[in-house]
Amino acid sequence: MSRKNFYHGAIAGILSALACFIYNRIYLFATEVDFARVLNPAAIIGANLLACMIASIFFGFFSKWFKSKGEIIFSLAFAILSFGSIVIPISISLPLDVKNPELFPGLAVPMHFFPALAWFTTRPLFADHKNAS
Amino acid sequence: MKKFFYPIMATLLIVGSAFTFIKSQDWKIGDDYSVKFTSDDPSGVFQGLKGTITFDDKDLAGSRFDVSVDVATINTGNGMKNTHAKSEKWLDVDKFPTIHFVSSSIAATANGFEAKGTLEFHGVKKDFTMPFTFQNNVFKSSFDINRLDFNVNTAEPAHGASTLKVDISVPVTKA
Repeated sequence: MSRKNFYHGAIAGILSALACFIYNRIYLFATEVDFARVLNPAAIIGANLLACMIASIFFGFFSKWFKSKGEIIFSLAFAILSFGSIVIPISISLPLDVKNPELFPGLAVPMHFFPALAWFTTRPLFADHKNAS
Repeated sequence: MKKFFYPIMATLLIVGSAFTFIKSQDWKIGDDYSVKFTSDDPSGVFQGLKGTITFDDKDLAGSRFDVSVDVATINTGNGMKNTHAKSEKWLDVDKFPTIHFVSSSIAATANGFEAKGTLEFHGVKKDFTMPFTFQNNVFKSSFDINRLDFNVNTAEPAHGASTLKVDISVPVTKA
């Protein structure tokens, strides 16, 4: 993994976690339902950093394996995986003392797109510009 | 002797009828109750337990349960499952909003007590025996229930478990 990819993953992870925190607060304000027991700050930071770092690692692999097509294939795969992962918050069973589980997908599903969003948003900062005219 | 007959009878009648006013203890359902059901799939809880509990282990004849559970309060931990459970296909909350048990007799058993009565669930009334214990002001009961006996989604007997284990714990305070 290159230094550039590492920083890209780390910064995207931090931005993504920040977006999740903000969205979490907005959702709490809007619904007055607190899912902190299942979605606490440590879990948010950990999951976002993990997702973005793994994305950066695979971006490195894809760039090596598929050369110039690597970024296109990676972007497509990352988007599809993010979309597919929304099945998890929809199908997961929360602890029975957590109230209003119906509202949990509304909180967690958008968050599943934040790592990809942050990663793609910060991509221009870490792109190789040597071919740019 | 004859002149004492009626006063004695009157006294016996008065003393005897006084015992008819001795009533079993009424209990108020505490907030920390739990009505859990478990199976391979699904598991969950009901909130919204209401009713009247009259129970005295020394006066089982005068003891009675009349309790109901609000079906709409079902929580399986998953919003999608909750919606499905409340739907017409399963519990049909709109048509059958409560699960209702009324006891007709309560008897002591080797392990505690058992309440015989009628359980109304999903519009089906059945004779039902609910074993229970009562210790430290907490009623506890565990029993199995087969959803197919109560016509719950009989079209899909293999969809999820048909027999569910129900565990009830109801702390009470004297009313």
